[in-house]
Amino acid sequence: MKLLKPVLLFCFCDILIGFCYIDPGTGSYIFQLLIAGVVGTLYAIKLYWKKIKLLFNRSKTSGQTDGERNKQS
Amino acid sequence: MEKEISRADNLSQPFSRDPAGFVFSQNDVTYRQINRIYERDYNELISSGLYDKLVGSNLLIPHVEADMSLAQTESAFKIIRPNAIPFISYPFEWCFGQLKSAALATLEIQKIALEYNMSLKDSSAYNIQFLNGKPLLIDTLSLERYQEGPPWIAYRQFCEHFLAPLALMRYRDVRLNRLHYIYGDGIPLDLASSLLPSRSWMNFSILAHVHLHSRAQKKYVNQSIHNQKRKMTKFALCALIDNLQQAISNFNLKLTSSEWSEYTLLPHSQEAAQYKKEIVARLQAMVQPKPCRIWDIGSNTGEYSRLVAENGIYTVSIDSDHDSVELNYRRCLKTNEKNILPLLMDVTNPTSGRGWECEETRSLEERGPVDLILALAILHHVVITRNIPMDRVASLLRKLCRDLIIEFVPKNDPQVQKLLMSRKDIFTDYTQESFERVFGRYFQILAREAIGETGRILYFMKNNESN
Repeated sequence: MKLLKPVLLFCFCDILIGFCYIDPGTGSYIFQLLIAGVVGTLYAIKLYWKKIKLLFNRSKTSGQTDGERNKQS
Repeated sequence: MEKEISRADNLSQPFSRDPAGFVFSQNDVTYRQINRIYERDYNELISSGLYDKLVGSNLLIPHVEADMSLAQTESAFKIIRPNAIPFISYPFEWCFGQLKSAALATLEIQKIALEYNMSLKDSSAYNIQFLNGKPLLIDTLSLERYQEGPPWIAYRQFCEHFLAPLALMRYRDVRLNRLHYIYGDGIPLDLASSLLPSRSWMNFSILAHVHLHSRAQKKYVNQSIHNQKRKMTKFALCALIDNLQQAISNFNLKLTSSEWSEYTLLPHSQEAAQYKKEIVARLQAMVQPKPCRIWDIGSNTGEYSRLVAENGIYTVSIDSDHDSVELNYRRCLKTNEKNILPLLMDVTNPTSGRGWECEETRSLEERGPVDLILALAILHHVVITRNIPMDRVASLLRKLCRDLIIEFVPKNDPQVQKLLMSRKDIFTDYTQESFERVFGRYFQILAREAIGETGRILYFMKNNESN
């Protein structure tokens, strides 16, 4: 098992980093992992904000339609 | 880094940094060999529908599969023939707007690729070329199957090839795009960070992806990525791409008035300018056989490039002033011009072969010769401002083109007088007679027309060696 461990670890690492011919750079690699949380949070806020805006626009549009309907009647 | 032509000798392997394949030429046709190592990724690219999606969106170069008898090595899995690119250009020859478009195209490709469970394994600016006025990926082998967990392999390359030069051009000086010429593998982030002004720290994306990123590179230099237990989710990766997209979209360049971009307004009257256009059109009509490709050297904002390209002829519009090229590119985008490529280059110091064995990028000369060169109101700048002997101008132009339309601006012209204002006139040979004698050694002068009363003369010449 002791001998097998480095082999397994090596194979696992290969899967993790894929087939990459360029050097991703250790600093750049780790830095992405560090900022993932920050950019992820910003992205989530952006997506939710878009949804809220969409919801607001929908209710506005449906409100206008109601108004138009009232006018027609 | 993408390389378009491989050396055709039998001793060395075709050059490619990517073991997935390489580009080679045969009978002036460019092919790409895909090696067996890339077989599963290529099959996934095609079967997932990503290839069709990217080609349909004008983001990836279309290709057809070619005969396997063209294989260059035993490791070949497929040979493909991508659509031809009329003129290969490089990031240091692009203006701000072109580099920005190329960066956004790269991020858009990555965003779409992730939807198809694939990812860009490199993000070199050299993998992007302009076709029909739009940037697109020419390296089909850049896409690989995506596996959730590791961060984006090409992140550093993207920051060094796109984000750092754009930030430097936006926050410091547009001329810093020339750093691409020195640093073929991208601009080192520590250099970019030290050159950027302190106000760039107020921009979150530059703060994160340039300043803090460069410090992380130093801090973790001796650590191995194989010991990292943390993983990056697909959502976080999409967030990173979105953040980069947002940052680059918000980069806008305010143009300062430059001598060149205002140049077209200066000389002589509107009538003379109109008359000059008519003569150029007349001389162009005399060019036989009809040109397929034109280079407009000293094109300024591309006014005459547009005139000659109106006939559907592919025209490379070359100027050494950034703002002129930027204005030219903006005009191309606005009017959706497909057959004009604005290019930033100084003909007195043109692009040379660079990279490994000086073969990874091609010199201007290697990208020629072209059917026709327009050299309007440029000769006096080259001869008088740059002190290039007229004979050497003629000999260079002979190497670059089959036919030539060139303007001679006499010494009494206000523009030439302006150039001589601050220096001693040592140009005793700068006369029309001398011009005709010197160019007559290399070209056959077929027509000459004076531009009204301006004293300027337009010539149509044919390369002596093309007969």
